[in-house]
Amino acid sequence: METIEFDIRGQICPSSLLVALKEVNSRTERLRQGSVQLCFLTDNRDATITIPESASNMGYGVSVEKKDGYYSIVISGKKD
Amino acid sequence: MILTLDPHIFIGGVSLVLGLAAGFVMHRSDFCMAGMFRDLFLFKRTVMIKSFALLVLCSMLLFEAARQAGLLSVYPFPLLYPPTAANLMGGLLFGIGMVSAGGCVVGTLYKMGAGSVLSLTAFAGLVFGSGLYAEFHPAWAAFAKSTVLAPDKITIAQMLHVDPLLPVLAVAIPGTLLLLLWHRRGELVRPAFAAGYLQPAKAALALSLIGAFSYVLVGMPLGVTTTFTKIAGFIESVLFPAHFDGLAAFKAVPLNYTHNLTGIVLTGGGAPRFDAQAAFQVPLITGIIAGSAISAALLGELKFYYKVPARQYVLAAAGGTLMGLASRMAPSCNVWHLLGGLPILSASSMLFFLGMLGGAWIGGMLLIKVLGAGPGRTV
Repeated sequence: METIEFDIRGQICPSSLLVALKEVNSRTERLRQGSVQLCFLTDNRDATITIPESASNMGYGVSVEKKDGYYSIVISGKKD
Repeated sequence: MILTLDPHIFIGGVSLVLGLAAGFVMHRSDFCMAGMFRDLFLFKRTVMIKSFALLVLCSMLLFEAARQAGLLSVYPFPLLYPPTAANLMGGLLFGIGMVSAGGCVVGTLYKMGAGSVLSLTAFAGLVFGSGLYAEFHPAWAAFAKSTVLAPDKITIAQMLHVDPLLPVLAVAIPGTLLLLLWHRRGELVRPAFAAGYLQPAKAALALSLIGAFSYVLVGMPLGVTTTFTKIAGFIESVLFPAHFDGLAAFKAVPLNYTHNLTGIVLTGGGAPRFDAQAAFQVPLITGIIAGSAISAALLGELKFYYKVPARQYVLAAAGGTLMGLASRMAPSCNVWHLLGGLPILSASSMLFFLGMLGGAWIGGMLLIKVLGAGPGRTV
């Protein structure tokens, strides 16, 4: 599966969320097929809530992991 | 009890401690008021707004308890005026500004403290906008004066000629029942992944206590924007001294009250000099920035990322400028009106709130256009 990474560190809300939603919406088909997953790197604490919440509400699987001073949010196909 | 301490030192010390606590709490919970109202309109998210309601309600009860106990210097507190159309229009512009900037006046401070370069840009805009207002202050002040809705009346209690306790109870009783209902349904909790996250309801309780301590010990609830005017005035007085001398906005001394713990009359205004406003707000601002920076550093999250799309810098600068301008036009900012005026049912603060709601909606729509994205589609 291909992983596309977006470095949105430095961006604050709602830009971080809107950027994430834009990228998710432009790859709906591939995400659904499971051929791609999107990884967003963010230092915005609010985005670690809003991006997973929105993606989950849209039916995607989401995982969040803390890295060195920022967070990695991975959005993949349909959630179980 | 009368303290023999210099009130400026006392107020400065108290404000620094309160600012540190506020900055720490706001960073841990990302208690962003701009985000609360924006997300209500953009994404129909309500959990943060419910925490905001908790903050206002708790502040209302704490302020009224302090008033009943005779702990307040002045009631209503200084620098609140009768309602005018300027409150509504200032609130509207403020709402657009804070959503565009990605944070309100204190949101900008705590995000800046945690290393946000965009918020630093918004801060520069806040100072610039505060200075810009001085260019048309006389005309705007005349407009505000000509649109006063209830002369000599500041609060709803004053308008109804009743004890402040009555309208407070009329709001607080149903408000408490509603909050209890939300609490029982678990609607005050946010699922969170951020390290050291503080639930917004807990942050709301902490911030209401911080505001109450400020009102009792300083004589006023939290406020920061006069300092932005002072900074703008200082820069202007250095760069354009002759022009600065002709600006009436920097000469006014609207703050004048007796500090009840020291019994000393305190004065202050937007002029770039040390006065009671500076003694109160400069340590508070410093504390908020430092408190947030400490919180971020403890979590290993104090980093500076500046590689952000240029249009976001433009938005932050424009939003900050609009907020600075509007905070003088309203007059005062969201913290002063929503965490101070609203809890004592000040009519001008209610108008500001109404205008700000409209502004947050407009700001949200503008953001969607500028950033070219919208709410997500379901798979």
